[in-house]
Amino acid sequence: MIYYQKDIDNIATLTLDMEGRSVNVINHEIREAFIPVIQHLQKEKRKGVLKGVILTSAKKTFLAGGDLEYLFHANDPKEIFRFAQEMKAFLRALESPGVPVVAAINGSAIGAGFEVALACHRRIAVDNPSIRLGLPEVELGLIPGGGGIIRLLWLLGIERAYPILSNGKRYAPKEALHIGIIDDLAHSEQDMLQQAKQWLLQTPEGRRPWDRADASIPEGNARQLKTAKLIRHLTARLAKESHPELPAPRSILKVLTEGSKVDFDTACRIESRYYTELVRSAQCKNMIKAFWFDTNYIKEGKDRPQGFGRFRPRKIGVIGAGLMGSGIALAALLNGKEVVLKDVSKLIADRGKEFVESRLKEKVARGELNIQQQQEVLSKITTTENAKDFESCDLVIEAVFENRMVKQKVTREAEDYLDDFSFFATNTISIPITKLAEATRKPAHYVGLHFFHPADEIPLVEIVQGEKTSDETIARAFDFVQSIRKTPIIVKDVWGFYAARVRNTYILEGITMLQEGYSPAMIENLGKQAGMPQGALSLADKLSLNMVLRYEKQAAEHYGPRYIQHPAVKVIQFMLEEVDRPGLKKRAGFYDYPMEGSPSLWSKLTDYYPSDGRKSRTQKELIERFLVAQVLEAVWCMQEGVIHSIPAANLGSIYGWGFPSFRGGVIQYIKDVGLDVFITNCKRLQRKHGQRFQLPSKTKQILRHDPALFQS
Amino acid sequence: MNDALVFDALRTPRGRGKSDGSLYEIRPIQLLKVTLQAIAQRNQLNTKMVDDVLIGCVSPIDDQGYNIAKAAVMYAGWDTGVSGMQINRFCASGLEAINLAAMKVRSGWDSLIVAGGVESMSRVPMGSDMGPLMYDPEIIHQIQYIPQGVSADLIATREGFTRDQLDRYALQSHQRAEQAQDNGRFARSTIPIYDQNGLLLLDKDEYLHRGTTLEILSDLPPAFSTYGEWGFDDLALQKYPDISKSNHVHTAGNSSGMVDGAALLLIGSRDIGKEAGLTPRARIISTATVSVEPTIMLTGAGPATEKALKIAGMTSKDINLWECNEAFASVVLQFQQELNIPDDILNVNGGSIAFGHPLGATGAMLLGTLLDEMERRDLQTGLVTLCVGGGMGVATIIERV
Repeated sequence: MIYYQKDIDNIATLTLDMEGRSVNVINHEIREAFIPVIQHLQKEKRKGVLKGVILTSAKKTFLAGGDLEYLFHANDPKEIFRFAQEMKAFLRALESPGVPVVAAINGSAIGAGFEVALACHRRIAVDNPSIRLGLPEVELGLIPGGGGIIRLLWLLGIERAYPILSNGKRYAPKEALHIGIIDDLAHSEQDMLQQAKQWLLQTPEGRRPWDRADASIPEGNARQLKTAKLIRHLTARLAKESHPELPAPRSILKVLTEGSKVDFDTACRIESRYYTELVRSAQCKNMIKAFWFDTNYIKEGKDRPQGFGRFRPRKIGVIGAGLMGSGIALAALLNGKEVVLKDVSKLIADRGKEFVESRLKEKVARGELNIQQQQEVLSKITTTENAKDFESCDLVIEAVFENRMVKQKVTREAEDYLDDFSFFATNTISIPITKLAEATRKPAHYVGLHFFHPADEIPLVEIVQGEKTSDETIARAFDFVQSIRKTPIIVKDVWGFYAARVRNTYILEGITMLQEGYSPAMIENLGKQAGMPQGALSLADKLSLNMVLRYEKQAAEHYGPRYIQHPAVKVIQFMLEEVDRPGLKKRAGFYDYPMEGSPSLWSKLTDYYPSDGRKSRTQKELIERFLVAQVLEAVWCMQEGVIHSIPAANLGSIYGWGFPSFRGGVIQYIKDVGLDVFITNCKRLQRKHGQRFQLPSKTKQILRHDPALFQS
Repeated sequence: MNDALVFDALRTPRGRGKSDGSLYEIRPIQLLKVTLQAIAQRNQLNTKMVDDVLIGCVSPIDDQGYNIAKAAVMYAGWDTGVSGMQINRFCASGLEAINLAAMKVRSGWDSLIVAGGVESMSRVPMGSDMGPLMYDPEIIHQIQYIPQGVSADLIATREGFTRDQLDRYALQSHQRAEQAQDNGRFARSTIPIYDQNGLLLLDKDEYLHRGTTLEILSDLPPAFSTYGEWGFDDLALQKYPDISKSNHVHTAGNSSGMVDGAALLLIGSRDIGKEAGLTPRARIISTATVSVEPTIMLTGAGPATEKALKIAGMTSKDINLWECNEAFASVVLQFQQELNIPDDILNVNGGSIAFGHPLGATGAMLLGTLLDEMERRDLQTGLVTLCVGGGMGVATIIERV
């Protein structure tokens, strides 16, 4: 597990190589393995036969993060606190005055893995842009628990440490050097080891700043007014930039603040206490559930039709060089694909390439790509106006604007050049795939691939199965989406598919509240307080009220006589027919959109829908309604086979329309509040607000088995 | 029960609370010393008779730290038997000291007390004492504790006060202040401040911007929008989701100014008054403290007033003259609206918007100003109230005797 080798200069190299794993991770096992090693090193140092230590890895990664499965199930505060303290004791032993240790970072070091590097006296990383370094624990509702916050506090000061700890970013080595979390870059592994050795030969003793009597926290601690004012500013910014129920960034600020006022080891205990609190929090469990368990379930291909060999697309055709098409092209390019980008003229197609180029430049500026890689990526995109260039493509995705005739026309043009081992995909939000497929010669090879804007950033793609789409094509689409490192969810060809359909219930609920006498500001603010990225009314405007209504009409068509009209429909009709305010595009909807300045709620809205001043008493219930409306629709989607698994439903909701991640997604919401409580709540809401809060008949059945947690 | 009588009230002039202020070179303990000596001298006081000195101070640190009350008593050369205590009820500290003095006297356990406050904002800026409400992330988030100016803007937004309304109120404060100063209304109770060589430093309130117009006021930039943009507005909206955004309508012109100053009152029982040969000027009828929702924070004056009136068995109609601290224009407008107080008997000589607000001293200054004006107008009853940090409110009712 830890290989020890000492050279003639008395420099020992510890090489991490965990058996039976493709990556080194931080767990109880490796910690225990380290204890005798560290004792041995200290003994050698005392004897004068050890100059220094290089810590490196035999794997492609240096050291990955902690054991999430353990953290997901851990609940005993004593045990979690001890776990954190033991991790700290191990790292403290590694850095304790004496043997100088260099972390020779040959691969990515994330989370707890990077905490080990932070506990070394010097960090040297190979300048390979694909390496990622950092402490992104916040993304799981967590904070570093090995003393990482306190070490960064002492190395960088609060102002520089805070963003690194709270933004969840993984830094490329160049950037990591720039922000100060590593000390040097090496151009190769050999160079790295040489530099490490060089430094060790010049460094008689390893001693961290916090172990020196005269050292202090850079830029001061929170007892100093200047720093206190900075903390106040950061505190306010948190209110603006992150939801109160996302506890991790708050805890980071608290640990930095409180930890800066006491000595290192006391500060570490404070970190462990906040860590323990977070590990036990529902928000953290929900986020680990979504971003680890659900994500792994999808990654393992459990929703993918079985029995088809892995599809390895190499070359992708994209029709339409607009924002969506260019975004798709970029996503494919960044994952090593070749791309043929077609539009009506080469000139227009070239604009798509320009978009790709500008995004690549940004990545170079951030150190995520080097110039050579940028050139390489760019060499893989060709632009054209001729469908013939699709000849060797493994798949073609059409992303032209929402018009059935146009879509069918470009499909027919491209189809001729595709063979049986490839497939054709359409990126649509509102036209049924089955209808579009009517124009193709190979409907079995025709599938919907619904990317979300901006396509290069949103990590979700809905794979829409038309009536005639074959399972094999679905499997291929699934493999393709995974190959560009996005989360594929397979959905049925019904209105709005999955994401837009469920999201619409959030919008409709908000519009309904308006008609019930709640002030528009209250509706918008409480939507955000529920954890949604924007207010229901502003979202309606953005989509256009016509679209919101169209989805609801399609629902009416689908359910026929069983359909009960949503109370929001009347309001939408009023907005469209009486006052002609269809939304953002016309600069008039629930909001006014002046040419200059920020949008504001339409001042006459309260003339037509007067607010009756209902306030605090019902706020919690409004927040609940916003979420439960979506949750129930998602359960309907599962019951009707619109979406096939709990993990897909959860991740689809988080990535697809911003359902709060601290709730773990739409289905996890029910687990979070508890099924029985949820059922009682729905009954109460149903009595008060009608049938739309009726529990789908198979709710219990659907929730009985969560495949993401099933230990196979 | 003993009556708590007011025998005298004195104060320093208010100096600009910045490094260009006339009192910046003077330590706050010096301001207290001068005022203590003046009140003793004017009343021919044998300081041995004084039981206690209570001093309100909002930032009790550095020059104002380590119990400045007792320090000042000793520095002023008062009898060694006189004790001293510094208290902090934020902006109402000075009034709270008076109320506490009244309670001590009414209980009969103390007989003669000097109470008031001090603040040198130029030397010890607000927040210097760095408490959790200001600087602890967890407390700020849990309570949604925002800067007071942002709270004042929140009041204006929710009450629908426009910038123009606030500026007009501010203009009135300036005009009344100017007139009051020109007519020497404060001369009787203001002690000039000299250096140790007898050279004059300041003999009247200097923050006043003479010749202020509506145009000047309306040109001033919002003072608290930066705080709002940092995220304090978002914090406010978490508690007040019924507004879509806060209007930042307060400026340096329609908010209270930062100044230095000290004020003291001499409070005691009827018996001690006779013994010391003092003439009572007023009786403290009732006092009250309340606390309201802390995010909007500055709406405590109304409820405090209601409570004080109820204790006194009075209604707002029974009050002849009012002082409501002009912390921010919206605070006074909201208070006036809530209690339906006529314009011509509220803050008749201007207030903190025009003269500045020396935090810990203000409550005592307002009571002195009110008493002087009641005597000038020959009115019977008066009320002083202040909104207070943390959502608190304090009120005191006096009656001439």
